[in-house]
Amino acid sequence: MTNPERRTLEPWQDPKAAPYVRIDHVTKKFDDVYAVDDVSLDIFQGEFFSLLGSSGCGKSTLLRMLAGLERPTTGRIYIDGADVTDLPAYSRPVNMMFQSYALFPHMTVEQNVEFGLKQDRMPRKERAERVGEMLGLLQIGELRKRKPDQLSGGQRQRAALARTLAKHPKLLLLDEPLGALDKRLRESAQFELVNLQERLGITFVTVTHDQEEAMTMSTRIAVMNAGQILQVDTPTTIYEYPEYRFVADFIGLVNLFDGRVAEIQDDRVLVETQLGRRLHMRCSHPHAIGTPVTVAIRPEKLQICQTYREDGVNQVKGVVEDIAYLGDVSIYRVRVSPELLVEMTLTNIQPRTEQALTWGQEVAMEWSPTSGVVLTE
Amino acid sequence: MNRGRWKLYTFLGLGFAFLYIPVLLLIVYSFNESRLVTVWSGFSIKWYLELMQNQQLLDAAWLSVRIAATNACFAVVLGTLAANALVRHGKFRGRTVFQLLLTAPLVMPEVITGLSLLLLFVTMEQTIGWPDGRGFTTITIAHITFSMAYVAVVVRSRLSQMDRSLEEAAMDLGARPLRVYMSITLPLIAPALLSGWLLAFTLSLDDLVISTFVAGPGSTTLPMVVYSSVRMGVSPQINALASIVVLIVSVAVIIAGLSLRQRPAAKGH
Repeated sequence: MTNPERRTLEPWQDPKAAPYVRIDHVTKKFDDVYAVDDVSLDIFQGEFFSLLGSSGCGKSTLLRMLAGLERPTTGRIYIDGADVTDLPAYSRPVNMMFQSYALFPHMTVEQNVEFGLKQDRMPRKERAERVGEMLGLLQIGELRKRKPDQLSGGQRQRAALARTLAKHPKLLLLDEPLGALDKRLRESAQFELVNLQERLGITFVTVTHDQEEAMTMSTRIAVMNAGQILQVDTPTTIYEYPEYRFVADFIGLVNLFDGRVAEIQDDRVLVETQLGRRLHMRCSHPHAIGTPVTVAIRPEKLQICQTYREDGVNQVKGVVEDIAYLGDVSIYRVRVSPELLVEMTLTNIQPRTEQALTWGQEVAMEWSPTSGVVLTE
Repeated sequence: MNRGRWKLYTFLGLGFAFLYIPVLLLIVYSFNESRLVTVWSGFSIKWYLELMQNQQLLDAAWLSVRIAATNACFAVVLGTLAANALVRHGKFRGRTVFQLLLTAPLVMPEVITGLSLLLLFVTMEQTIGWPDGRGFTTITIAHITFSMAYVAVVVRSRLSQMDRSLEEAAMDLGARPLRVYMSITLPLIAPALLSGWLLAFTLSLDDLVISTFVAGPGSTTLPMVVYSSVRMGVSPQINALASIVVLIVSVAVIIAGLSLRQRPAAKGH
């Protein structure tokens, strides 16, 4: 990471970079329940940052505190260097797009977009220009006279986006921005949202429960569980090098082998698992012998093993039990022991009908010691 | 159409007949030529014309309308405030008590409401000198006490259906709370306000018992005139008057119903 160009793209690598949003030991309690539990987080200018987690993990509450719609029980929030913890929502330089879009049903698209500008007492002429600019940006100019209930889901999303962008906020908060769209529309909207963000240079913070969405769009992802942030990293790092069992399991498919550290050889640990053999994994953390650990390997890191040996490194044998054909890839669930299934993903290079691997067939698999991680928590 | 259907419609018809034939008969007989209420002798609108000459009745009607309108305006404001407190201010201390006290007038026997208000007004006049005598003011105040409960119920259901994020979005876009209320909340609950107003208006127009308690000499409302004149023997004029009242009330109720139906739920989609 010494490449200076990379550094500008990844401000979180730069110890001197000032964060644009700083969440400092923020806790939010509802009655006796901790919705957000001592969260600290730095978000930098121009980032597309995602808060990822299942429902009830506190991600929406955190976003609402950034918007000023909830007040933290303890902790401070800084935006662009200023402490905004006690500022009400209407005085913050932040706009939010709601999951339901929250378009005002008694106003036209145009009036919706204009609403925020009117609150700022912007002169009429300037207002009209800005509204035109926003409707043009999101290509909904011809819908300007329609009411929200005359719009399709995708059009509503655009109208809501136009309304939040109209005030040229420096920070845009998006609560499940694509949650209400159908799958096909969602994919194109993902790219569109990223393009828009890059073009405008606004810092985006989104909340999502959809890991695929977070992976596609974000510069960094914070994975949350039970009110706490487990890991903050780029999509690649989160996927390839998860630090927690929860993170590994939450994002993508993963094979988890529980075991204990049996031996250490240079930069490798040998893990005794229920597979009945020691797994060789590269590991940068020094683990004491006997430490309970979990070895996590993604299904696509497994390969069919041509030369299976009883003492081969990271080789296992089993019987194909299930095949999930997804078109581009197939997921094979292989029974390696009475209580253990291993998932392996193979790209369908050959058409499905000509593939050799089928139900009930014995298959040997292997993986490289560098293609998985050893987790302790 | 099968037999089951026919049965269903027959029972529906019987039900409606039970409810509305008396009213229909009254309207039909208001166009009766004869002075005898029970004998039909030909079509005529002479009772309507005679009604227009009856100064006592017209005065009473005008007083009733003024009371009903004033009452409805106050009831809408107070009822809406109460509904806001109930829906928007979470679990404040004494919420349950407030809710019970607010809806109590809906089930309180009118005789008790009337009597207690009369006692209150008399005591107040003796101690602070206001209200000065009983009449328009006291009747209106009495009507507001129960009408606002009805308004609160109507507005409350509308408010609790409303998507909170609409108001949050407005606030997020820079609108202060009062502004949010005026430009987002009020327009969205307007149908409920209109139907609440009409409801309060009709309730006040109809009220006899409470008005009788708190009215003073010279302030006779329409229902009071009707009631006292019927005791002297039913004049076909009363039929004509009743028909007009039925017309006004039906129109008000229909408008109230339609205005609640037009935008079923102001959800943010």
